[in-house]
Amino acid sequence: MPPPLLETHDLIKDYEIGGEVVHACSGVSLTIERGEFVAIMGASGSGKSTFMGMIGCLDIPSSGTLLLDGVDTSTLDSDALAEIRNRKIGFVFQQFNLLARTSALDNVAVPLIYRGEGYAARRAKARDKLEAMGLGDRLLNTPAKLSGGQQQRVAIARALVTDPLLLLADEPTGALDTQTSLDIMGIFQRLNDEGITVVLVTHEPDIAEFAARRVLFRDGKVIEDEVVAKRRRAVAA
Amino acid sequence: MSGLFSSMAGWGVNVSIALTALRTNLMRSILTTLGVMIGVFSVILAVAVGNGAQVSVSQQIATLGSNMAIVVPEPESEGGPPRTASRGRLTERDGEAIARQVPGVSAVAPQIRNSLQLSTAGRNANTQAIGSTPDFATISNLNVDDGRFLLASDVSSAARVVVVGQTVATKLFGDQSPVGQVVRINRVPFTVVGLLESKGSNLGNDNDDQVILPITTLRQRLATTTLQGPDDISLLFVGFEDEDSLIASDREIKSLLRDRYKVTKGKVTPFTVRTTTEIAEASSEVTGIFQAVLVAIASISLLVGGIGIMNIMLVSVTERTREIGLRMALGAKRSDIRNQFLVEAAVLCVIGGAIGLTLAMISATIFERVADFPAPIGWGTALFAVGFSALIGLLFGGYPAIRASRLSPIEALRSE
Repeated sequence: MPPPLLETHDLIKDYEIGGEVVHACSGVSLTIERGEFVAIMGASGSGKSTFMGMIGCLDIPSSGTLLLDGVDTSTLDSDALAEIRNRKIGFVFQQFNLLARTSALDNVAVPLIYRGEGYAARRAKARDKLEAMGLGDRLLNTPAKLSGGQQQRVAIARALVTDPLLLLADEPTGALDTQTSLDIMGIFQRLNDEGITVVLVTHEPDIAEFAARRVLFRDGKVIEDEVVAKRRRAVAA
Repeated sequence: MSGLFSSMAGWGVNVSIALTALRTNLMRSILTTLGVMIGVFSVILAVAVGNGAQVSVSQQIATLGSNMAIVVPEPESEGGPPRTASRGRLTERDGEAIARQVPGVSAVAPQIRNSLQLSTAGRNANTQAIGSTPDFATISNLNVDDGRFLLASDVSSAARVVVVGQTVATKLFGDQSPVGQVVRINRVPFTVVGLLESKGSNLGNDNDDQVILPITTLRQRLATTTLQGPDDISLLFVGFEDEDSLIASDREIKSLLRDRYKVTKGKVTPFTVRTTTEIAEASSEVTGIFQAVLVAIASISLLVGGIGIMNIMLVSVTERTREIGLRMALGAKRSDIRNQFLVEAAVLCVIGGAIGLTLAMISATIFERVADFPAPIGWGTALFAVGFSALIGLLFGGYPAIRASRLSPIEALRSE
């Protein structure tokens, strides 16, 4: 049996700001199995974003262990972490973070640059993912010529282009209206049904209801971890 | 730290990222490039002008003739005007003695120099007159295009004959052949017997603006006031059989002259002996310094251009912190980020360098046409220019690029 996708033990992250130590994460132990859809909730300052940074290999824990796909990432150097981010994790952000003046196709192809794929292969894969997101007719549009929902779908295509194990979404609907948010959550549910593990960071309770499991952070600790009782289903656009 | 070539992203990708980024801030990119452009332009032009000076000087030396020494009756000076009081004498008999006694000497040509006006019906020309002997032609590699050079009989009979340079011939006779024509010098008629082959001009000095007369004629008919005795000469050309005897000659000639003029030990030798090798060395040293100074001054503008690059790259890194964070999140290694910004700086510089080089080539051509001064820009210089501008990019783009690559992914991603 393969190891859990994610396993943390007593994960601690301290920051020093102006001579004062801030305990952003003070002992988080959490296991996420393959194929789960987990919503991580909490107010701002609860430590959920810090936790997400660490499981996304963007940040290094101060102490504790973090096993991603069975690999202890706390001992890896920056190049190895970059490779894990590239191969195992797909990020979706609140502000989409698309490159301006760059076509949807080229935006989606960016992660493939960093694994040394050739131009033609990059374009072909990016085109596939964009078509799967229903953006087959927007391939050459720059972000300025796309709606918010379309931009977020481009960002999701970019997260998926490397066929990651984990989709890590940080407030993905924070910048979208209600209907578009629903569409995006529908996409996440569909992807999860297809087998990809989704971790969603949000502070909106109704968005968290699209997940199967809800983990609540407060003061750097997990205070609730439960199955979502009445899970919402959205029909993907 | 990983090597320069360890990153996964290809250089082509980085160039295309760089071009997109540079297009995004087009005005800023152009202004930054301008700095490098001006820098490369001035360095290349300085190198070209320096090379031109070298070429010009070596041409000038070649026109003097090879394997020869020039003896001047003046003490060796370390710059400054020669003092007339200390001026020595030099006579035709000294020349004969040198020809007889110094080993390896093939010929000597005593000279008197003077400015003269030559006139024909309705035209005249002011020029430099050299009074000498037939050996002058052999020592100085002078050839005639038409007619003949001086003969020994011209000298012994103080004949009223003159050999003219191309410039003088054109001034006096236009397109007509000068040989056989009569010119007047101080109202005395002279026959033109020969037309000198052109020796071109160097550094604005026209080598064809001269006439050659028998030394006896110049002395007797066209009195030169600066000389003391009836046998005195302005300078002496000494031709040698080969380079080895030339190298050994300097001391021999000097000690012979010291003996002849009874210069006691410890006194300053009132003669200067310059060999063509010495002149060539001294000139190439001078032009070398000239070139080095030019290039050094021009390099300052290139340095300023480089600082401009660094400045704009630092701004670019700061502005694009979020992009850097995003790229890191998507899997860019530190070396990928570093290379991206290095390439961006290098692209800026290479574009600037290429434009600067083009402008320098155009200017050099204009310079050659207008100022009659060679300023050659070879392929080597051109390649050097573009390579050097890329190096400037790597050098001054290096610090901003490394700074970008050291950003923490999470902090970069969360920056505004």
